[in-house]
Amino acid sequence: MPNDKNSQKIVDMITGFARSNSLFMLAYGTGCGDIEIPPAMTSRYDWERFGYRKMATPRQADVLLISGYLATKTLKRVIRSYEQMQEPKYVIGFGSCTINGGMYWDSYNTINMLDHYIPVDVYINGCMPRPEAVMSGLFELQEMIKRGDANGAQKYRENLEWYRANQKKIIKNWKMPDYNW
Amino acid sequence: MREKATTLYLGPQHPGITGNMMVKLKVEGDTIQSASTHVGYLHRGFEKLMERRNWLQSFTILCRICVPEPDPNEENFARAVESIEGREVPERAKWIRAMVLELARIGTYLLWFAGQSGSAGLYTMGQWSIGDRDYILDLFEELTGGRIYHMYIWPGGVRRDLPKGFKDKVLQTMDYLEKRLVQYDKLMFDNTIFQKRAKGIGWIDPAKAIEWGVVGAPLRAAGIASDVRKDDPYEIYDKLDFELGHATTSDVWGRSQVRRFEIEQSINMVRQIMDKMPEGEYYNRIPNPMKWEVPPGEAYVKTESARGEFGFYVVSDGSNKPRRVHVKGPAYVHAVTLLEDLLKGANISDVSFIMNSLGTCPPEIER
Amino acid sequence: MTDISLEKEQKIADELERTFPNLTARVRRARRVMASLEKELIPSVLVHAKDNLGFHHLSHMSVVDWIEDEHFEMVYTLWNHEKRVQLTIKTMISRDNATMANIDTIWRQANTYQREMREMFGIEFPGFVGEKDFLLEDWDEMPPMRRDFDTMEYANKTYFSRPGREDAQDVRDTISKRNGEEVPDFAKKYSREK
Repeated sequence: MPNDKNSQKIVDMITGFARSNSLFMLAYGTGCGDIEIPPAMTSRYDWERFGYRKMATPRQADVLLISGYLATKTLKRVIRSYEQMQEPKYVIGFGSCTINGGMYWDSYNTINMLDHYIPVDVYINGCMPRPEAVMSGLFELQEMIKRGDANGAQKYRENLEWYRANQKKIIKNWKMPDYNW
Repeated sequence: MREKATTLYLGPQHPGITGNMMVKLKVEGDTIQSASTHVGYLHRGFEKLMERRNWLQSFTILCRICVPEPDPNEENFARAVESIEGREVPERAKWIRAMVLELARIGTYLLWFAGQSGSAGLYTMGQWSIGDRDYILDLFEELTGGRIYHMYIWPGGVRRDLPKGFKDKVLQTMDYLEKRLVQYDKLMFDNTIFQKRAKGIGWIDPAKAIEWGVVGAPLRAAGIASDVRKDDPYEIYDKLDFELGHATTSDVWGRSQVRRFEIEQSINMVRQIMDKMPEGEYYNRIPNPMKWEVPPGEAYVKTESARGEFGFYVVSDGSNKPRRVHVKGPAYVHAVTLLEDLLKGANISDVSFIMNSLGTCPPEIER
Repeated sequence: MTDISLEKEQKIADELERTFPNLTARVRRARRVMASLEKELIPSVLVHAKDNLGFHHLSHMSVVDWIEDEHFEMVYTLWNHEKRVQLTIKTMISRDNATMANIDTIWRQANTYQREMREMFGIEFPGFVGEKDFLLEDWDEMPPMRRDFDTMEYANKTYFSRPGREDAQDVRDTISKRNGEEVPDFAKKYSREK
């Protein structure tokens, strides 16, 4: 009975439903996108209605919102925060600069494509995306979790060498502990 | 009993820090012995990028230098280019610019309310004031098309005229905000917890304040009436009737009093501007942007932003690209040398409280 | 406006020229005075301006790279709160082995500016102790704000770039062509390809 395919499906559905409706988001304002987070979380847009909350520590968080461009110095901290998070964990890339560099595509200090360094589940484009766009990205993530498609963490585990090589290419002084959850 | 000193890293991933920066603290018990600010987490190299872009392309990226209040950047750049080039600005554009700057100041102060009270544990204030700030962002959206980044004030004037019925909406919003201020007083400024936390914390020596490079609200809270709008009037500020915030305590409490008073003044100024704004042209057309060359010259211009004197040093070598654009935000001094000094002897729980009161904004330190 | 008298500005300029014979000062407009002089005299002029002329506030400190003439231009902007006058002091320093006098004993906030200049332009300040890293971390290339540093080349070499974003031009045409999308009529009038 426990190995029955149908019962596994039902369990997946229930866990997906439960996970998608209580997402704790790491409060790490990595870039200028952080300015649209306060409106989205306070009285006017109020994302807490949909089960999102801000969480101060990476180990207790489920979602990492990369709010905008990443300087190489921040990327190091983001990777470390991401690896500290426990599965299930999801990444949202927020703003054009996480997709292709946006305004800073030729800058010497910002990365251009976030998904070469950490796996991204949902992208929200725009510079700056409105709170409505943030919310729509969050709904998309919820739907993906319900469907079981948001498997960035699994991708990261399976292709760790590729991600590590990319990361080490720009982070010259690599002194970080290995997290193997 | 001797306590052992430890090193504490506050940030960059920390909810009490304003933005993405790090303060390294040496603490004994919970008293701070020494502090050093580490920045660079948001460095994008704007000044380098502008060397590669022509004058109009520079204008579109530089509002992203400071996120909470992007308009002083545009204003500075526009005024610097106009002063190098000797370009005339229509009278109406000057009034519109002043209106945008004052609205932005109110919005930034409302955001600051949330940070300042949030770091004292009063989370309700943030829910209210950020919600109210959205009404100002709505005005901006109608006027410029963008909530945060407006790209509205450009060399030669402003990008659009006021839409139909805009004046009434602005006045309505101002009336609403004025009513809300009474409730903010009840929630934050009459609150004993906030008063006890704020009084006597983060004291700046008034005798040294000017020499240390303190600007804006912290300087006015030290009893020195200094404001770029009064000292070195730009646009139409010499035609407006307003007072500066004033306090003598020079601590967090004094700074919050100054900001609270200046919201009132800004509301009044917006009303005056709406009343006196002349009709006419709003834009003195620039040449084809791809071929637009600014004659050789240089200018240091400054604007009073919500955090203090915001300066731009712009140099042109006669080509179609800026030679050098150097941005000096108030936080460049406040959040590094001044903050390191104020944190000595403070309590760990006051770090974000003091940081907020200085109006720390990391993106303008590192650009 | 010509009726504003430039008396106080002229007085400051005269006073500076009298004290330092090698200095040239001129009044640019109301509330703006500019002075230029040799590199060696900078600390003494700054101290004089601060202690005797009332320029207590260091507004700004900057450097411009004139690569064609092979020098850096150092710019100090001071502000006098009582008289409301801005004084800009400029000097030239050589571009290779650039050194400049350390002024963080006069204004301590100069510390931050000098840390940035050392990192971004490679200007050394003898006797200056400040933390080495300011904005960059583990940087081993040329100081990035020098004119001969090519940021685009460095970015291409170091970072991945999404196809369709090869230059600074409008990307709408490229994206629509790549995806085989129809450009809507209203967008066609902005299109670069006629």
